[in-house]
This record gives sequence, structure tokens and C-alpha cells, in this order.
Amino acid sequence: MANVKFDNITFRYGTNTVLENFSLEVESGKIVCLVGPSGCGKTTLVRALLGLNKPETGTITVGERVLFDAKKRVNVPAEKRNIGIVFQDYAVWPHMTVLENVSYPLKKQRRPKDEIHQRAMHALDQVHMTEYANHLPNQLSGGQQQRVAIARALVVDSDVLVMDEPITNLDAKLREEMLLEIRMIQKRLNATILYITHDQQSALQLCDKMAIMQQDGTLCQYGTDEEIILHPANRFTFEFIGVSNFLPLEKDGKGLVLNCGEKIPYTDAVPKEAENGGYDIGVRPNDIVFDAQSPLKAKVDSRVFLGSEYNYFLSLGKKQIRVQQSMLDARTKGVANEGETVGIRLLNTRFYPTQKGGATA
Amino acid sequence: MKRYNSGVSAELAAVDGRKHLNMDKMMTAICFVLLLIIVVIPIVMIIYHAFFNEGKLEIEMFVQQVTEKKNLEAMWNTLKIAVFATILGTIMGVFYAWLLGRSDIPAKGLMRALFNIPYMFPPFLGAMAWDMMFNGRSGYINKWLVQLFGLSSMPININSVWGIVFVEVSYYFPFVFMQVVSALERMDPTLEESARIAGAKQRQVIWKITLPLVKPAISAGALLILTTSLAHFGVPSILGYAKGIYTLPTRIYAVIYNSGGSFDGIRQGAALSVMLVIVVAAALILQNRILSSGNYDIIKGKSMRPTLIKLRGAKIPLFLLAILTLVLIVIVPLVMIVLISFLKAYGLPLEFKNFTFAQYQKVFSANGTIASIRNSLFVSITAGIICMFLGTLVAYVVQKIKPKGKGALEVISMLPYAIPGTVLSIGVILAWSGRIAGINLYNTIWIILVAYLARYLSFSMKTSSAALLQVHSSLEEAARVCGASHTEGLADITLPLIRPAMVSGFFLIFLPAMREVTTSILLYGPYTRTLGVQIYSLRDAGMIPQAAALATVAIGIIIILNTIVTKITKDRKGV
Repeated sequence: MANVKFDNITFRYGTNTVLENFSLEVESGKIVCLVGPSGCGKTTLVRALLGLNKPETGTITVGERVLFDAKKRVNVPAEKRNIGIVFQDYAVWPHMTVLENVSYPLKKQRRPKDEIHQRAMHALDQVHMTEYANHLPNQLSGGQQQRVAIARALVVDSDVLVMDEPITNLDAKLREEMLLEIRMIQKRLNATILYITHDQQSALQLCDKMAIMQQDGTLCQYGTDEEIILHPANRFTFEFIGVSNFLPLEKDGKGLVLNCGEKIPYTDAVPKEAENGGYDIGVRPNDIVFDAQSPLKAKVDSRVFLGSEYNYFLSLGKKQIRVQQSMLDARTKGVANEGETVGIRLLNTRFYPTQKGGATA
Repeated sequence: MKRYNSGVSAELAAVDGRKHLNMDKMMTAICFVLLLIIVVIPIVMIIYHAFFNEGKLEIEMFVQQVTEKKNLEAMWNTLKIAVFATILGTIMGVFYAWLLGRSDIPAKGLMRALFNIPYMFPPFLGAMAWDMMFNGRSGYINKWLVQLFGLSSMPININSVWGIVFVEVSYYFPFVFMQVVSALERMDPTLEESARIAGAKQRQVIWKITLPLVKPAISAGALLILTTSLAHFGVPSILGYAKGIYTLPTRIYAVIYNSGGSFDGIRQGAALSVMLVIVVAAALILQNRILSSGNYDIIKGKSMRPTLIKLRGAKIPLFLLAILTLVLIVIVPLVMIVLISFLKAYGLPLEFKNFTFAQYQKVFSANGTIASIRNSLFVSITAGIICMFLGTLVAYVVQKIKPKGKGALEVISMLPYAIPGTVLSIGVILAWSGRIAGINLYNTIWIILVAYLARYLSFSMKTSSAALLQVHSSLEEAARVCGASHTEGLADITLPLIRPAMVSGFFLIFLPAMREVTTSILLYGPYTRTLGVQIYSLRDAGMIPQAAALATVAIGIIIILNTIVTKITKDRKGV
């Protein structure tokens, strides 16, 4: 285990800049999720860590070891970096059995035969694949292949483990199981894991810390999951992690209004900078509550029961907003019916300057 | 991040670049050098000698050759034969592909296997058989027809342009047939079903949905017929030579043969070669214009169960038609060759009392025969192995390393595919008979080998290329991250994965090389006849029953080899 430090990494494909002066430090023994939309440069970043591509500038260090330094012309080849990887497309070698796949990294370290067998079987055991040791990958399901890939990454004591969306092909139940498994393995080995995903749900379940990357390849927030959920650094993080409603806030004569096709007076307190309008109010669906006393009225378009909560679509003026009502709330206050007009109250509101071009989600 | 995959190995190469002795660069360099020697030099030599004489520009010879009436006639014949063979062969191929792929005609599996036979049957042996039956002077069936109906002249003359077209069609239609059958099988049947549901009639579905969808396959097959026919030597030489009907390839052979292999003859051949290449190029461009077709993604790699069309009343007649076609183009020529091989002397009636095994004895006691089989085996196996590795190397460089100039590399390696075998031979003669660095391979087996290498390299490159495309770069990268060096990653992962493709690439070269005549007929020396050349010269010398005996043996060898190959490739399915 070791910490991973990216410092001032710049990477371009031709004229297309993917990363510019990107810096991030991953603490030792933590699971860090790198979360961002597709194409934001997550994969490029870890490929640089693995030694599969070469950034233009910057340094990459793992623990005390400098793996890459553009200035000093240090570039440790991929095979000497001692980093485990689980690729998104598993990259399980189809011409080798499961056991051969998992043994390969040990073979390349020229370990004794008994040790190789023992450690490979142990790694397979960790992912519950021992009974498939002699199967060929094409006899396995996608999920099983992914577990082989994970075992192959675990088998050597890597300084760092990189997982590039390793559980996307598993069904929901197995996915949860694997996430727990990864968590346990991490605890046991005290490994540093860099976990890449665009799925914030699994990121939340798994990680100690999250790094949120924006479309343009910049890091917009790095922190614990609570910090990121409760205090999103900017509109992008707020919007990317979870479902969100945005309501444009405008100044109309003396008071503030929500511009939802028609102007609806907004009387709640607003921060000083938003007093003159020109802001969007961001609010989570579960932060909108029904309150008959509220002057803010909306019409219920639809209601869907989702097992642990109700999901509503309401029309506020001409704008559709999403509301979630917990079971507890539904039990105590009752549910709203389709076609009904209800009073709503917005809690935990956030204010973001209106984006140019008028795109409001 | 799919869009980055293309550059991935190039990236890896860049990463490796500075520190190690760069293996990727070395492989790229080897590719360029070998292709230069094998492909570029012969082609350059042809062009040079067609226009230059002893270092001076001299166009008169070229102009004179190109404007000579005989040569223009040959060009006209070449075009006529190729165009008609392509049109008729395509129609026939598509028709039977549809019949076997989409209708409920009985005995499909067997018929499909039989329809592939003409593909492995050497066309020039077929031409020999048809000549035996319908030769304008002495054809057996011709004579029989004359007797039967009391005709005053031979009813059918196979020694004509139309005869050549007929024989070429019967051996080339499988090009289209095989392409279209597999496209039909891979086509998503719901595409046709949706058209039916939307209210189209069966006939409309065939014309508006099925045919347009397999158009790329049809056009690929047709292109293959066109280029093969333009370059073809065997059939026109056997059927047309005696009657003075020349095509460009046979004309080139005649010019060189008549000049006794003198340098002037070879230069004239080079001039005609340039002419032939221009014709082929023009045909390719024209074909591209007419049949330019988009690629459809609707045809999937998976095989699906298509809905079969009921033929109802037409079932039995169509079945009989298919059987008749098979008998006519496969069985009849085969039987004819075998029968003739048992005759005491050519021209005797086909009666039991005239049969003997003597021809086989004669053929095999002549030491030339055994030597020719040995030569063919040696050249075919060697060419197969070298091409297998070289083709894979080129494919790897083009697909994975992607150096600057990879386009050029690709074009150079595919070039001989479009260049007629006859032309290639002339280039090889010009290049390797002492004119460059004093290397003289003329009259040795090596010159045939060099020509085969150029001719067949694209075969193995194509199969290896397709296989490499399937090997996602993350597989090799995973090996790197697991601690394998670049070389180890190649040896442990990539090579084992494309091994089956390499093996089938070998057979794709070995099998046609075993029955090759076009190139070797211009390159053989007294001790370096190949199997094809030996049959050809036996027949040329009038020893037709002996030629037939050796042909029977050759066909036997080809059938055995094909069966083995099919077995081997079937067993490898799992890998």
C-alpha cells in the first residue's frame, strides 16, 4: 500500500486536450472513486498511472517511488510499476484457463510453482471462483469473467489497485455482493484502490473518498461522500451526483419570482447575492415536501411507487419537477393523488448563477 | 473510451520508445524492406523495362506493342471474357446462393459442399476435360453427337471465346456463391419479416430488402471474378491457344515463349504486362463506380435462423436444375479426365478394351513427375510458411503499431492481389536474373518461390489482419501491467490468440499454390517444373492420356488435402 500522487499532469491526443495540469493525491489505504461523465479523462488518467500512455507534463508517484516525471525523463515501463488493474472489458485472456490467467502475474515474477498455485487458488477463493479454476473464459458469464479479472489483479501484492468500472456487467445483486467483497478485500490487504466509475450509486457504496471530474477534465471536488452529497462544490457536482430540480429565480418588480413558464412568487429567504434574481434554485427531489399551508402550489401529474418511496412528477407552473416522498412521510401525512393540487415547500435549497444559453435542467 | 483504442498501441510504442531498443520500429523496418524486395522491385522493373532500354527512354517498343493488331485483339478478348464471365458468374452465384440459403430446397448440406468443389478444382484441369469433350475437331462428345444424329460438322466448339466464358463461369461462380450464402446466413431475419408485416409481397421482399442487403457481398464476389478472369491464364491457354484465340496473359506467354526467353521477348512481355495492369486497374475503377455500395451493419456476425421460402411447385424442378448444374460442372469433367487417363492412346473410342493402367505407370516412371510433385510441395509449403509469418508481421505493424506510412505498407502488400500472376512472373524474371546485385535465380526453384511469396502474401495478411482486429489491445496491455515485457506480451497473448488464423492463412496459400500454373509456367526451368506445369507440358506435348493420369493424381491430392484442412479447421473451433 502506498499513496498515489498525480502532479500537474497534462495529456493531449493531437490537439485535443484531455487533461491540463491535473493534480490529485490519493491517500494510502483508501478506496477512492474517480467519478465523472464518460469522456472526461478518467481512463486517460489511470492509463498514465499504469504506464500505458505518456503525459506531456507532470509527475506520478506511488509512495516514495517516482513512476513518471516528464522533466527528469523518468518513465517506468508498465510491467515494472507493480499496479494491479481490472479493465472495464475484463481483458481475461481467452486462450488460458481461469487458473492460468490468475497465475500469469506470478509466473512473470518467476515465483516457485507451489507458491504460484497456492496464491492463485487463494485469489480465486477471494472472488468465489475456485470451482471454475480449470474453465476457459468463454465458458464463463460476463460477471464471472470480471471476477477472474479481479482475482488476477489481487494475486500479486500491488502497491495500488486500479479498477476501471469493474462491476458494470454484473446483475444488481452480484454487484452489491462484489462491492462488499472489494471493500472487505481492501480492509484485509489495506490496499489503496483507485476505482473509476460513472455510476455514482456504486461510488457512494464503496468509497472512502470521491474525486469528481468534470467533462473538461478538471477536478471539481475531492472529499468524503458526505461532503460531496451535502456540500457539493458547484452546480456540476450537485447535478452529477443524484437527481436534481432547477428552478430559475428572477426579479419581477418588487419581489422574486420563479420563472416556470408563468411567474410564481417566491417568498422564502434567499442569500444576499441572489436577491436580484439571475440564479437557479437547485433542490433535490427528497428535499421537496408537501405542505398544505405553503403558498407554492403544484399539480400532481403522476405518482409511482418504488418500494421504499413514492416518486412524483408535479407541474409547477409549466415546469415539471420531481419529488420523492419517503414511506414514513407517506404513512404519516398520506399520499398525494394524480390530478390533485398540493402545496409544496423547498428545503435545503442551493443557489447557482443561471448558466448562459439558458440551459436549465 | 472506445475512441482512444485505435491509438493505444502506438501510445505504448511511444512509451517504450526511448529506453529500449525499439522492437516496434524494427518490425516496421523489416516489413518495409521485405515488401520492397518481394513486391516493389519486380513491379518497378516491369515499368522500367517497358519504357527504358539500356538506361535510355524508348517508347517506340511500347507503342508498337500496344498498337499491334494481335495484342489489341487479345485485349479485346480479355475484356469480353472477363465481363461476360463476371456477369454470368454473378447471376449464377446469387441464384444458387439464394436457392441454398433461403429456400426449402432438399439436401442443402450436401449441395452446399458440392457447390464448393468447383472452387478447389483447378480451372485449367476443367478446361482440359471440356476440351476432351467438345474440341471443335476431336471432342469425344462432339464425335458421338455427329454419329448419333448424322451431322455434317461438330455441333459444339469449346475452342472459342464463348467456350472460355462457359468454363470460367462454371469455376468462378463459387466466388459470388460463397460470399452471398454467408451474408444471407448472417442477415437478421427480422429485417425481412418486418417487410412482410409492413405489407410487402414475397417477391418485393427479395428485390427491395434481401438483395440490397447482400449487395456488398455480391459486389465483393463479382470483383473477385472480374480480377481473376482478367488475369487468368489456364483456361484461355488450353482452349484458345491452338485456335489462335489469345487473351493478354496467354499473349504475354506466347510472346516470351516464341522469343525463346530472349531479353527482347521479355521486354515485349513487360510492355504487354503494363497494358494488362492498366486494363485490370480500369476494370477495378469502373466496377467501383458501378457497384459502389455502403457497408451495412445490419448483417451481424452471429448466425441466425432465417425464414425459409417455400418453393411449392417449383421445388422439384429447381432441385433437378441444381443437381444438373452440379453434374455438368463437377462430375462430368472429373469422369472425363479419369476415363481418358485409362486410354491406351488419345482418340481411341472410350471402350473397355482400350483401357489400361499403362499411362499411370509411364507417368510415374518418368522422373520428371515425382520431381514436379516434390517441387510443388516444397514451394507451396515454404511459401505458405514464409507468407504466414510475414503476412502476420505486416498485419501486426499495420493494425497495432500504426507507424507513419502504414497506408503505403497496406497498399504494397495488397498490390500483388490485383496484379496478374503472369505480370508478376515477368517482374520476377526481370528482377532476379542477374540484373540486381548479380543475383541470378533464373531456372532455379527459388525464383518460383519469390514469385509465390509476392502473389500470396496478401492472403495471409488478410486473415491475420482480421484476427488481430478481434484481439482487443487491452489484452496485451493487461499482460504488460501483470509484469510481461513487450516481447513477452506478444509471445504469451497476441500470438497464441491469432495462431488459428495464421494456420488457416497457411492453408489458404498452400492449397492454391499446389495447383498453380500461371506464374510457374513462365518461371520453370528444366529441373524445376511444378505439378501444374508438368500436366500442362505433358498435354502440350500431345501426351493427353498421361496428362489426364497426372491430373487425376493431382485432383486426388487436392481432395485429400482439402479434407484434412477442413478437419483441422473444424477441430479448432473452440480456440
